[in-house]
Amino acid sequence: MSVTASSALLVQGAGPQYVNATGLFTLSWVLIALPLLSAAVLLLTGRRANAWGHLLGCASVLCSFVLGLAMLFAMLGRSGPDRLIDQHLFSWIPAGSFQVEAGLLLDPLSMTFVLLITGVGGMIHIYSIGYMAHDPERRRFFGELNLFVAAMLLLVLGDSFLTLYVGWEGVGLASYLLIGFWSYKPTAATAAKKAFLVNRVGDVGLSLAIMLMFATFGTTSFAGVFSGADRMMAATATGIGLLLLLGACGKSAQFPLQSWLLDAMEGPTPVSALIHAATMVTAGVYLIARSNPIFDVSPNARLGVTIVGAVTLLFGATIGCAYDDIKKVLASSTMSQVGYMILAVGIGPGVYALGIVQLVCHGFFKATMFLGAGSVMHATKDNVNMRHYGGLRRLMPITFLTFTAGYLAIIGFPFFSGFYSKDKIIEAAFDKGGTSGLVLGSAALLGAGVTAYYMTRLMAMTFFGRPRWEEGVTPNESPRSMTMPMIVLGIGAVFAGALLTFVGDGLAGFLTPSLGPAEKGSPPVISASGQTLLILAVATVGAVIAYLQFGRRSVPDTARQDVPVVVTAARQALYGDAVNEAVFMRPGQYTTRALVFFDNFGVDGAVRGLAALVGGSSGRLRRVQTGFVRSYALLMFGGAALVVIGLTLAYAI
Amino acid sequence: MSTAQSLPALAADFPAPQIAYSALSPMVAVFGAALIGVLVEAFAPRRARAGLQLAVALLGLLGGLLAVGLLAGTREVTAVGAVAVDGPALFVQGTVLALGVAAMLLLAERSLESGGGAIVAQAATVPGSADERALVGTDHLQTEVFPLAMLAIGGMLLFPASNDLLLMFVALEVLSLPLYLMCGLARRRRLLSQEAAVKYFLLGAFSSAFFLYGLALLYGYAGTVSLPGIAAATQVTASNDGLLYTGLGLLTVGLLFKISAVPFHSWTPDVYQGAPTPVTALMATGTKVAAFGALLRVYYVAFGAIRWDWRPLLWVIAIATMAVGALLAITQRDVKRMLAYSSVAHAGFILTGVVAATRAGLAGSLFYLLAYGFTTLAAFGILTLVRDADGEATDLSSWAGLGRRSPMVAGAFAILLLALAGIPLTSGFTGKFAVFSAAADAGAAGLVVVAVVCSAIAAFFYVRVIVLMFFNEPAADGPTVAIPGAFTSAALALGVAVTVVLGVFPSPLLKLADQAALFIR
Amino acid sequence: MTTKDVVFGALGLLACCSGVLVVTARNVIHAALWLVVTLGALAACYLLLTADFVAWVQVLIYAGAIVVLLLFAAMLTRAPVGPGQDLDSGNRPAAALVAGGVGVTLVTLLVQAFRSAYVDLDRVAGTGAGRPIGDALFRSYVLPFEIASVLLLAALVGAIVLTRPEIGRR
Repeated sequence: MSVTASSALLVQGAGPQYVNATGLFTLSWVLIALPLLSAAVLLLTGRRANAWGHLLGCASVLCSFVLGLAMLFAMLGRSGPDRLIDQHLFSWIPAGSFQVEAGLLLDPLSMTFVLLITGVGGMIHIYSIGYMAHDPERRRFFGELNLFVAAMLLLVLGDSFLTLYVGWEGVGLASYLLIGFWSYKPTAATAAKKAFLVNRVGDVGLSLAIMLMFATFGTTSFAGVFSGADRMMAATATGIGLLLLLGACGKSAQFPLQSWLLDAMEGPTPVSALIHAATMVTAGVYLIARSNPIFDVSPNARLGVTIVGAVTLLFGATIGCAYDDIKKVLASSTMSQVGYMILAVGIGPGVYALGIVQLVCHGFFKATMFLGAGSVMHATKDNVNMRHYGGLRRLMPITFLTFTAGYLAIIGFPFFSGFYSKDKIIEAAFDKGGTSGLVLGSAALLGAGVTAYYMTRLMAMTFFGRPRWEEGVTPNESPRSMTMPMIVLGIGAVFAGALLTFVGDGLAGFLTPSLGPAEKGSPPVISASGQTLLILAVATVGAVIAYLQFGRRSVPDTARQDVPVVVTAARQALYGDAVNEAVFMRPGQYTTRALVFFDNFGVDGAVRGLAALVGGSSGRLRRVQTGFVRSYALLMFGGAALVVIGLTLAYAI
Repeated sequence: MSTAQSLPALAADFPAPQIAYSALSPMVAVFGAALIGVLVEAFAPRRARAGLQLAVALLGLLGGLLAVGLLAGTREVTAVGAVAVDGPALFVQGTVLALGVAAMLLLAERSLESGGGAIVAQAATVPGSADERALVGTDHLQTEVFPLAMLAIGGMLLFPASNDLLLMFVALEVLSLPLYLMCGLARRRRLLSQEAAVKYFLLGAFSSAFFLYGLALLYGYAGTVSLPGIAAATQVTASNDGLLYTGLGLLTVGLLFKISAVPFHSWTPDVYQGAPTPVTALMATGTKVAAFGALLRVYYVAFGAIRWDWRPLLWVIAIATMAVGALLAITQRDVKRMLAYSSVAHAGFILTGVVAATRAGLAGSLFYLLAYGFTTLAAFGILTLVRDADGEATDLSSWAGLGRRSPMVAGAFAILLLALAGIPLTSGFTGKFAVFSAAADAGAAGLVVVAVVCSAIAAFFYVRVIVLMFFNEPAADGPTVAIPGAFTSAALALGVAVTVVLGVFPSPLLKLADQAALFIR
Repeated sequence: MTTKDVVFGALGLLACCSGVLVVTARNVIHAALWLVVTLGALAACYLLLTADFVAWVQVLIYAGAIVVLLLFAAMLTRAPVGPGQDLDSGNRPAAALVAGGVGVTLVTLLVQAFRSAYVDLDRVAGTGAGRPIGDALFRSYVLPFEIASVLLLAALVGAIVLTRPEIGRR
C-alpha cells in the first residue's frame, strides 16, 4: 500500500523504474493468498479439519513455491530492467488527497525471498507433519505456520513501506502465536510475550521511519521514496536509515534487541527452524537491502549498520560457546550469522548482494541443522541438553550426515556453501579499506574462528564420544517425513553456495536490477587467495581447540567449574558471556520488564508512574459520579446553563 | 364559524396531506412489525411467542433494510415537510437497521441463562420475592421486549429523518420510552437494573424538557418548527437573537443527552451497567447513531448559516467529552462501565467530525458511526459470554488470562478493543482518520491535536484489557466463557467482520458515505 | 387598560402564587390541589387570549386527568398523606436560586423578544379554536400526530409489562 499524493507509478526520477505486471505476474497476489486462505480454513474450521489440515497446510505452501518457480523462469526470460514488476491491486484508502494504494512488487530481490520462504518453509511444513504428529493441536499449528508464511510473503512482496509494515506486523503476530504455541508452559508464554514486546521496540523504529518518509516524500511507495532518495538531506537520510536499522534490529534479533531470540526457542522446533533459518530474522536484512537507495546516500547510517552487524556476529558467536542447550547454541549461531548479513548490507553499494547470498545459504544450512536438532530431540525425549547426548552418529546416520553437511557449510569448509557466502563477506569487509575495514574484517574473521569452535563443540558433544543418555532413552532415526526434508535441505547446504555463485551470473548478478551491480572496493590489502587461506586457518584453529576440549576428552554431565588452562579461549568466551549477560541482556530484560509492567494495571487496578497524573485526574473526576439522580440532574442543568451562556457569548463576541 | 357543515362538505373542504409512503417504507416496515409483535403477544400461545416474535422482528428489520436499499439515492421531503429522506437519513437508517438485526439476535439468545436469555422472566414480580426465585431458573421470558425494541428502532429511524422539530421530538420520545422500560428488564441483578431504568427515565424526561423548551423558543424565533424554515429565518432575521441562541442551546442539551456528551453523560455508566447487556448494546449503538443523525441534521440544515456561533461550543464539548470519557474509563474496574465511558469518549471523537461542518465532516461522521456501532455492539455481545455463577462477570480482574482459556473469544474481543482504540487495519482507525482529517481541513487543527491525545489515553485502557487477557495468569475461580449460541455467534461474527473489513477495505464504504453526505434542504 | 387586562393580570398573579404554594406546601395532597388552581388559572388566561380549545384541553387533561392521576398515585401508594417535613431537603435555598434564575432569564428573554410584538386579539380570534388546530393537526402535523399514537402504544405495552403478572402462571 503506497501512500502517495498522486499516483505511485507516475513518480519520475533517478529511482528504479517499475514495469506493470502482465501475464503470469498478475497472479503474484496468489502467492500470498494461498497460504492465507489455508490459514483461514485451518484456524476457522475447527476440529473437523484435523484429519486433513496438515496436508492442506503443506499443499498451499508448496503450490506457492511452484508458482514462484514458474514466475522465476518467466522472470529469467526477461531482460534486466524489465525484471522489476509492479502490480497495482486496489485503492486502499481513497480519502481526498491522501491516497493509499495497495500493490505488489516482484523483482529479483523479492523473487529470491519468495522462493526461500516457500521452499524452505515448505520443507519445514512437511517435517512438521512428523514432528507434530502426536500434538492434539497440530491443525492449529499448521494454520499459524501458514499465517506466518503469508505475512512474510506480504512483507517481501509489498510495493511500499506501508505494505511491508503490514506484513512486518503480521510476522510479529504469527511468531508470537507460534513461540507461545505450547502456552500451557509458562516459559513458552513468557518467551512469546518477550518476543512480542522486544519486537514492538523495533516496530516503533520502523513506523517512525515510515512517517519520516511520508513527511519527506509525501509517499511511502518504494518507487516514490527511492526516486527522491538522492535529493534528500543527509541528516534526513541518516535519520531514516538509523530508524530502519532499529526496526531491522528488532526483527533480526540484532544487538541491542537480540534478547528475545534465545527465549524464543521455547516454541516447537520447526518454528525455531522457520523463524530463525528461513524467514523472520532475515526480514531485517531484507529491509536494509530493499532500502539500499537510502543507505547509498548516507554513509553514517551504513556505518551504524556495519557496527551493529559486527558487534552482533561476535556477540552471538560468543554466547554460542557457552550454552549446553542445543537449540540455544543454534539460535546464538543464527544471531551471529545474521550479523554477517547485516554487516554485508551495511558495507554498502556493491556488497548488498553478498548479504543476500549469505542469507539464502544460511537459510539452507541453518534449517538443516535446526531440523537435525529437532530430530535429535525427537530421539531423546525432547532433551535439549547436549551433555546428555553423545555417540548419536551410529544410531542416527541420516541426521548425522545432514547435520555434518550443515556444519561444514557454516564453518566455511571449502566448496560448501558457507565458503562462498560468509568468506566473501569477510573479504568484502577487509576490502572496505581504511581503519574501519580492518576493524570490521578482523571482527568478522574472529567470528569465523569462534563459529568453528562452537559448532565443533556442538558436533562433538552430540554425535561423538560415549553415550551420556538419560535413563530410558533409546535413540533411533526419525521417521521418513522428517528425514526427507533434512536430506533435501542438506543437499542445499552443500551445493547452494557454489550454485548461487557459478550458475549464470550467480545470484549477485540476478539481483543487480534490484540492488545495483556488484563491485569491488579498494584493492585488497592481502590477495584474495591469501585471505581465503587466512580465514581457513582461523576456522581450523577454532575447530581444533574445540576438538581437543570436547572430542578427545569425555564430557561431564554437568559443566565443570575448574576449567583447564588449555581452553583459555573458551574460558574467555564464557567470561564474555557473563559480561554480555550483565551489560547487554539485563538492560534488554529491563526494557522488557518496563513494557511488561502494564500487566499489573489490570490486576491491582493501580495506576503508576507516568500514568499517575492521568489516573489522579480520573479519580477526581470520578467523584462527580455519585450515583444520585439529583446530582446528575444538577450537573445537566449546570451544563445547560453553560451551553446557553456559551452560545450567547460566542454570538456576542 | 359555521358548525352546521355536513361531513362530506367538511371532507371536500379539507385537502388530504400528501404522504409518499414509499419514502417512509423503512419506518413503515419496522412499525408494522412492532404492531404485529403486539398482536402476537396478545394471541399467540406462550410457547411459540419467543420464536414468532424474533421472526417478525427480523422480517421487519430486514424488510426495512431492503427498503433502504431500494430507496438509495432518493432525495425527497414528504409528509408535509415533516420527513426528509436523503443520503444521511438513509445511511443512518441503514446503519440502525443493521445494528438492530444484530441487537435483536443478542436479545433472542436463550442458550446462556438456562434457556431464558438476558431478559427477565416476569418483569412484574418483585425482586427478591419467592415468585421471582421460582421463575429465574425457568425458560420464561418477557417476550414483550421484542415489540418494544422494534418501537424503539422505529423511533431511531424517524429521528434522523425528521425535518421538523415537532416530529423530531415525537421520534425522540418514541425511541426513548421503550428503552427506559427495557433497561429495567435484566434477568439478574434486577434492583440495579430497575434503578438504571428509573434513572434513565428521570434524566431522559429532564432532557426532553430541555429539548421541548428549546423547540418552543425556536418557534417563537422563526414562527415555524421546520428545519429549513428555521434556516431561512436565521438568514433573514436580525432581531430576537436571544430566542435563537437560547433555543438552540436548550435543543442542543436534549440532543447531547442522547449521544451522552459531557456534561450530559452522567447517566451513561449507571444505565449501561444496569441494563440487560443486549439492551445496552442497542442503546450504545442504535440510539447514539440515530441521535447523531438528528444532531447532524439540526446543525447542518437548520443552523448551517450560523455555524460560526455554534462551532466554538461544540469544540469545547467535544474536548470535554473526549477527555472525560477517556480519563474516567481508565479507573473503571468493570468492563461494562469501561465500555460505557468508552462510548462517551467516542461521542467526543464523532463530534470532531460534526465540528468540521463540511461535507467531508459529515461523511466522516457517518462512516465513524457505522464503524463504531458494529464494533461496540459486538463488544457488548462478548460481555454476555463471560459468565460466572452470578451471571455476567464484568469485573476487570476476572478477565485476567481469558486468552489462555478461550483464545477465540478473547481474540475477537482484542480485535474489537483495538478497533475502539483506533489501531490501523481496523475500522476504528479509518473512522478516526476520516473525522480527524475532516476537522483538520476545516481549520480545527487544535481540536484534532486534543483528539489525538485523547485517543492515546483511550488506547491505554483498551490495550490494558488486552494485556490482561493475554499476558496474565487466569484467576483460579475465574469466570467461564459460555459457548455462544447461533444467534450470538451470528451477531458477533457480523460485528467482528465489519470491524476488520472496514479496516482493511474501507474504500467502498468511504465512497458510499461520501456520496450520501448531502442533506436535502 | 381594559377589564380584560385587569383580569388577565389577576389570573397571572393567581397562577404564580398558587405555583409557589405547590412547592411550599407541606402536604402532598395540598400541593396537588394547589396545582389544580395553577393550571386552572392558566386555562383562564388562554381563554382570555381567545384560545378556547387550548383552554379546555388544559382543563381536561392537566387539571383533570393529570392531577387526578397524581392524587390517585398519592392515595394508592403508601406515601404519607398528612403533612410531613421530608418533602423538603436542605437544598431549598439552592433550589430557589436555580428556579429564580431560570424564571428571571426566561422572562427577560421573552419580554425582550416580544417587547414590540402586538397582536390584535379581535383579528386573530378563532385561531385557537378547534377547527384551525384540527386543520394543523391533520394536515401540517399529521405525521407527528400519528407517531404519537405509536408512543402511546409503547407506553401501554410498557405499563402492562411492568405491572401485570402473566395470567395462568404456574
